Amino acid sequence: MSVDQERDAPVLSARQVTRARRRASAGRSWRAFRSQRTGLAGLAVLGVFVLLAVFAPLLFSPDELKVTEALGGVLDPPSARFPLGTDESGRSVLALVVWGTRVSLVVGVAATVISMVIGTLVGIASGHFGGMAGGALERLTDWFLVIPFLPLAIALATVLGSSLLNVIVVIGVTSWPGTARLVRAQTLSVEARPYLERARVLGGGHWHQMTRHVLPNVMPLVLANTTLTVAIAILSETTLSFLGLGDPFRVSWGSMLDNAFASGAISSGAWWYLLPPGLCVVAIVLAFTLVGRALENVLDPRARER
Amino acid sequence: MPRPALSAAAAVVLLALLPLGTGGSATGAEDERTTFTVGMSQDVDSLNPFTGIVSSAYEMYQLNYDTLTDYGQADFAAEPSLAESWEVSDDGLTWTYTIRSGVLWSDGEPLTARDVAYTFNRVMKGKYEQTNFGSYVGQIASVEATDDQTVVMRVKAPSPTMLHLFVYILPEHIWRDIDAKDVTDFTNEPGPDGIVGSGPFVVKEHKKGQFIRLERNENYWGEKPAIQNLVFRIFTNEDSLAQALRRGEIDFADDLGSNVFESLEGAEGVTQFPATYSGFDEIAFNVGAALDDGTPIGDGHPALKDQRVRVAISHAIDTEALVERVLGGHGTPGTSVIPPLYQDLHYDPGASAYAFDPAEAARLLDEAGYTEGPDGIRTMPAGGEDAGRKLSFRLLGRASSQTSQQSVQFVAGWLEDIGIEVKPKIVSEDALTEIIGEGTFDMFEWGWVVEPDPDYQLSTFTCANRSYKDGGSVFANLSDSFFCDEEYDALYAQQKEQIDPAERAGTVKEMQRILYEQAPYVVTFYYDNLEAYRSDRFTGFTPQPEPDGSLLFQYGTHSYRSIRPVTAEDRADGKEGTKAADDDATSSGLLTTAAVVGGGLLAGGLVLVALRRRRPEHDVE
Amino acid sequence: MGYVVRRVLTGLGTMAFVLVFNFFLFRLLPGDPISLYTRGRNMDREQLRELRRELNRPVGEQFLGYLANPFSSGVDSTQFSRPVWDVIGDYVWPTLVLLVTATALSAIIGIAIGIKGGWRRGSTFDRTSTGVTLTLYAMPEFWLGMVLLILFSTGVGVFPGVFPSGGTLTPGIEPWSVEGVLDQAWHLTLPALTLTLAYLAEYALVMRSSLLDEVRQDYLVTARAKGLMDKLVRRRHAVPNALLPTITLVFLNIGFVVSGAITVETVFSWPGLGLLSYQAIRGPDIPLLQAIFLLFSLAVVVANIVADVAVAALDPRVRT
Repeated sequence: MSVDQERDAPVLSARQVTRARRRASAGRSWRAFRSQRTGLAGLAVLGVFVLLAVFAPLLFSPDELKVTEALGGVLDPPSARFPLGTDESGRSVLALVVWGTRVSLVVGVAATVISMVIGTLVGIASGHFGGMAGGALERLTDWFLVIPFLPLAIALATVLGSSLLNVIVVIGVTSWPGTARLVRAQTLSVEARPYLERARVLGGGHWHQMTRHVLPNVMPLVLANTTLTVAIAILSETTLSFLGLGDPFRVSWGSMLDNAFASGAISSGAWWYLLPPGLCVVAIVLAFTLVGRALENVLDPRARER
Repeated sequence: MPRPALSAAAAVVLLALLPLGTGGSATGAEDERTTFTVGMSQDVDSLNPFTGIVSSAYEMYQLNYDTLTDYGQADFAAEPSLAESWEVSDDGLTWTYTIRSGVLWSDGEPLTARDVAYTFNRVMKGKYEQTNFGSYVGQIASVEATDDQTVVMRVKAPSPTMLHLFVYILPEHIWRDIDAKDVTDFTNEPGPDGIVGSGPFVVKEHKKGQFIRLERNENYWGEKPAIQNLVFRIFTNEDSLAQALRRGEIDFADDLGSNVFESLEGAEGVTQFPATYSGFDEIAFNVGAALDDGTPIGDGHPALKDQRVRVAISHAIDTEALVERVLGGHGTPGTSVIPPLYQDLHYDPGASAYAFDPAEAARLLDEAGYTEGPDGIRTMPAGGEDAGRKLSFRLLGRASSQTSQQSVQFVAGWLEDIGIEVKPKIVSEDALTEIIGEGTFDMFEWGWVVEPDPDYQLSTFTCANRSYKDGGSVFANLSDSFFCDEEYDALYAQQKEQIDPAERAGTVKEMQRILYEQAPYVVTFYYDNLEAYRSDRFTGFTPQPEPDGSLLFQYGTHSYRSIRPVTAEDRADGKEGTKAADDDATSSGLLTTAAVVGGGLLAGGLVLVALRRRRPEHDVE
Repeated sequence: MGYVVRRVLTGLGTMAFVLVFNFFLFRLLPGDPISLYTRGRNMDREQLRELRRELNRPVGEQFLGYLANPFSSGVDSTQFSRPVWDVIGDYVWPTLVLLVTATALSAIIGIAIGIKGGWRRGSTFDRTSTGVTLTLYAMPEFWLGMVLLILFSTGVGVFPGVFPSGGTLTPGIEPWSVEGVLDQAWHLTLPALTLTLAYLAEYALVMRSSLLDEVRQDYLVTARAKGLMDKLVRRRHAVPNALLPTITLVFLNIGFVVSGAITVETVFSWPGLGLLSYQAIRGPDIPLLQAIFLLFSLAVVVANIVADVAVAALDPRVRT
């Protein structure tokens, strides 16, 4: 990762060196990650959920989600036929939970991508450009960082109306400031390194500096941050759906909890309707968090001992 | 540092747990004064009768104020209230009401015919005051108190509604100080003496979002109620409402959802009462949105202008399944827009009803030329204006209603089965009002609660009540299907002046027949009002109408005046359950609580320990 | 003191941003603003015209009027037909009681757990507590609330339903009598427990890691090497220094705390600002929503300033 390394391999072109270096570093990181048991456990749990999401149609036909095709009674307790009981329309809770995985994962990942793109752009730009422009971006980040997330998300969701896409957009555009601040700090420290000084002296433009030098160095940190952001995005989707701001015709864990709450599952003692979606949220969020922490440990030596 | 902090925390927690002994004490209210507590899901928006719009507010108004006449408890027939008798001139244009003598306001001032005339004139001449009560006074030309006991009203044309004027009579000595400007901001919150009125109860205390407390009006002119304190507690979710009833914190729960209602089965001391009700839900069609002057607006699907399509859809909707699945069986499949609760007015299509029959629906659509395209979705008939356009309808449901959202899902499924594409969407009721007013929909799910007098409900299908334009914007009026039919309008005008109930009923039924045939609505169901009460503590409820109508939230205050605490005699009859205080369960419950919370956290921790166990340790120590 | 002045000025800048943002966010709403503000209200044509005049004033003019007094929206709450700040006033207290209780309990318990875990890093307690706190951190707080409700209010199986399911007080009990206070504490238990569990995770995690940072400092290593009693080192040096970031977090967390209140108050029918927000969403009651958003945002900004000033007062290192 240092300047010396580049000097050690004079035969290769600069680009090849960089690639080889990154490959080596990725390999090192993976080996380090493998030693983090909790991170691996998290990764395994994530794998299970991804498989469930991908193969949901094979496990349960989409017809099982149609109320007109529902075969069970209203809020039936678990039975051999419906291992997790039925919902207020007589649909299988198990089928709903499995299909719900899709929405949660899609929202979590898509919102995170939006958040990461905005956060990284703003962060790098505000760190790279000094003066007015950088200062203004920094201020903007600080301001948005202060505005409480859920009230802002509620306001935006009310303005935009309820659909899956809007939920993704709302979560994406409300969760970027944290990333931006992190990236900005990292950018500043990268920019202080001598090889960036060299690039600047050699006449590399802003674009060159940012994409060739700053971005690659910031990316690992962004990656670790990403997994944590996905966890938060999934929690946010659950909360927004529970508040009735999600897409009511798509089964997600949050909308299941909303329906359970609204249709009297608590009074009816229908724990089979309440527990599974919540436990899934906990499991997937915990998994992402564990993976994120493990990645942080690997990538940020300062955090390693926590 | 941490130790004192921890013990402080423990102390706080303990303090919070202390009132265990008093946990069940809510049941002890019957010792001194009889308190009857009703749980309801909606706070009163305003205690000013000119401002409030929600139904819970109207319950307070009718408890606190009187009207000239009442709807009877058994069958909604007009009966005396403040007016002890009345007379109508032969031409039907002059009504003379005799006001009870010796009536006092709750503050001791006498109530006279002048208060009545003041109130009516204020509504008729006011602008803001028209908002809530204008519909009752439209036909009245003048109101005058000829002496302390007599009110004379002149009407523009003979009217059947003069015995159903639901205008709350207000004390002139209080309201004359609140002028036309102040009334818009006037909250009418109770002072130390409560809200001055003449009804059987007086609103004494309003803790917003929590409860409203009324006390018996000791100056009430009628027989004094047996209950002295009447409390309405507000619950924001049904689960809490049901729990409170089960635990005896409240004595009555109204308007429960079917699952919550079912969960009360077997609860000790609780009687479930699924009351037949005057509300219905419908799937409405945009039959051709237009302004009141006939200018087309909106973008409704052209196929829905065709009565044959609407009838076909009527055959495709399984109203019985909706009652079973959405209402949990607590309702009746729907037909016409006046519910069977009003048996004299309800039109029953009998054998000509649209039975659930998807094959018949498909046949009707084929016959009318709406044949299936290659993708299985039907299209507009060849040769017409929109030939080839897919039958793809937007169907809107309401965010605030679980039954609405469920109904929409069911209807969408059934329509897909007969080759109609449906795009369901859930919006707030307010947004839906706006969308409907602008005619930018194809179908929606909503409902009405129908008053004993059919005029208002029938008026929602007249040409004149379609949306109107004002200052460049389109505003919603009462009509939400944009139905407009000459014959119907003529009958509407006719019933407005028919004083003979039987004659009027005939007209009203004929109007419903037209509506059923033209099918601007598919009335999906008449839902029950699911009520439950503590039969171990109170008895004497009187349903309106007999035998199984609502026990509370009626037209009038009948039940509140007849409810009484269960006596030893009643108990001997074995009608009530045992008292509900579970003190033993309470204290043993605490231990379980602690054990379970601790256990749950521990289990979570153990999993993590197991996961982390083999992680290499670089301990600092 | 330059630091404090700078932080306060930055805070005021943020406040100005929040005010402006609040105004324009709700102007982004599509459609005719008038229908948005009058939804569901039965107004006559004359009143509608008046309201239209108010809302159709040039945006610049409206904006100036708003800046002159942001707390007097010209439009009433559509659900309550009253000025929005009157409505909000009725709901402030329950929220304060709930949030202060939950924050205090969660900070105390969280810090205690963090200290114990951080000092004996890798011990069974540390592993268990980290696992539990991470799990709690991953839990939607309203779901935790619903689970507690179904277990301890409805009662399922062996679990007893002993707690009230909503509200702050049984009507008819005098609120400030002994019985009334106990009754209120009884009503507070489940919602406060839910929020305490939801919040304490972060305090425990932060306290643990800042104690770990502290433990690695040279002076502490020296102190321990010199053979000072372990307990003494912990109590005199490590903990007080490590406490600062956690205490600051209590203030910085207001935004997070407020978010939890919205859903948990809804689940427990706790008549505070969170429940009011939920009702405003379901309307939607745009004027009310706008006011609540402004209030929450300003509360967070103020808390941030307080945190900055507190840090400056407690930690001489930043006071420059």
